[in-house]
Amino acid sequence: MRAAQQGHGASYMELLRTITPRIRQLIRRQRGFAGIAEVEDLVQDVLLSLHTVRATYDPARPFVPWLLAIVRNRLVDGARRYARIARREIYVDEEDVTFFEPATNDDNGELEDAAALHAAVRALPEGQREAIELLKLKELSLREAAEVSGTSVGALKVATHRAMATLRRTLGKRRE
Amino acid sequence: MNTNDLIEDLARGLTPAAPLWRPGKRAAAWSVGAALYLAVLVVSMSAVSARAGGAGTGFWVSQIAAVVTGLLAGRAAFVSVVPGLPKGSRIWAVFAAVVWLGTLIAALPQDFDWATVLAARHEWVCVGFIVVGGAPLMVVLAVMLRRGAPLHPATTAAFAALAVGALANVGACLSLPHANSAITFAWHGGVVLALVALAALTGHFVFVWGAARSQSIVNGPAGHGT
Repeated sequence: MRAAQQGHGASYMELLRTITPRIRQLIRRQRGFAGIAEVEDLVQDVLLSLHTVRATYDPARPFVPWLLAIVRNRLVDGARRYARIARREIYVDEEDVTFFEPATNDDNGELEDAAALHAAVRALPEGQREAIELLKLKELSLREAAEVSGTSVGALKVATHRAMATLRRTLGKRRE
Repeated sequence: MNTNDLIEDLARGLTPAAPLWRPGKRAAAWSVGAALYLAVLVVSMSAVSARAGGAGTGFWVSQIAAVVTGLLAGRAAFVSVVPGLPKGSRIWAVFAAVVWLGTLIAALPQDFDWATVLAARHEWVCVGFIVVGGAPLMVVLAVMLRRGAPLHPATTAAFAALAVGALANVGACLSLPHANSAITFAWHGGVVLALVALAALTGHFVFVWGAARSQSIVNGPAGHGT
């Protein structure tokens, strides 16, 4: 390592080749459940970290405790990363592709929903119904819809938001 | 990438990396710089002679305890960025901080009133001294610490903040007179504690493996002296 700190690439390569199998063995022992790819990721992480902080090695002190401290730290960080990913991501095994699944192409269901939607829109209060008709059915812009209805853009946004919430509630109840 | 290829890449792109100074030496270098900076700040602000002239033993004991805390916390911060070193220095720094707070508590007047102490609005000047005056010290310390290994970002940042807070507190005490130790305890102690907590919470944004790694791979190693 002392030679490596002086910039001798060959010594450094020899050092890394010597310690890599030991690092790998250590990681396998600590992370028995990890696959080959995960172990290699961790080994490379340790090597990169070691390379980054090689200036922190004091030639007057033993090398192994210095190396082990880095390995332990990277293992702990790796475990935290793994836990974070496991908490946020869901592994999806085999999910049906939407368009090939018969249930997604059920015309009856679509018609029934459309009728329910019309009924729900009709049942909305006047202002909310007008907002939905202008913005969602006639697909006018907010400014155009404001001119047609004679209200402000802000009021239209609020009415649309409330109408959508009401529709979601009404159609949700129907489905239940 | 294959691990063997990575090893070859690292060895091929190797540049010399002079070992960092030992943590004690780095801490001493920072402490000397911090002492000079604070001395200039105190002298330029004020009335150090008037304050020191009227100060009792308790005042000086707590200042000495604060200085020792600053030095030991600085050393603990530098030790925490070197892999494989024993953790004893952290215990000594925490012990010194407890002693420092103990000296402040011991010097509390018998009949002090918390409401009066907390209403001491002039103490915002001290808060400003510790936070704003200590900011350059914190920046220099963070830059020096980032040359090490970010093994325990929260711990490193907390000790760095304790070192800066303790030394800046001494500067604030010397430059601005205080009515009693209750004010120093509540305001200075509170600010330092808040700084330590904030640093511990945000340390992982400052001391990051990724940043150190990309810097090292692109520009060569972080080391070379301090």
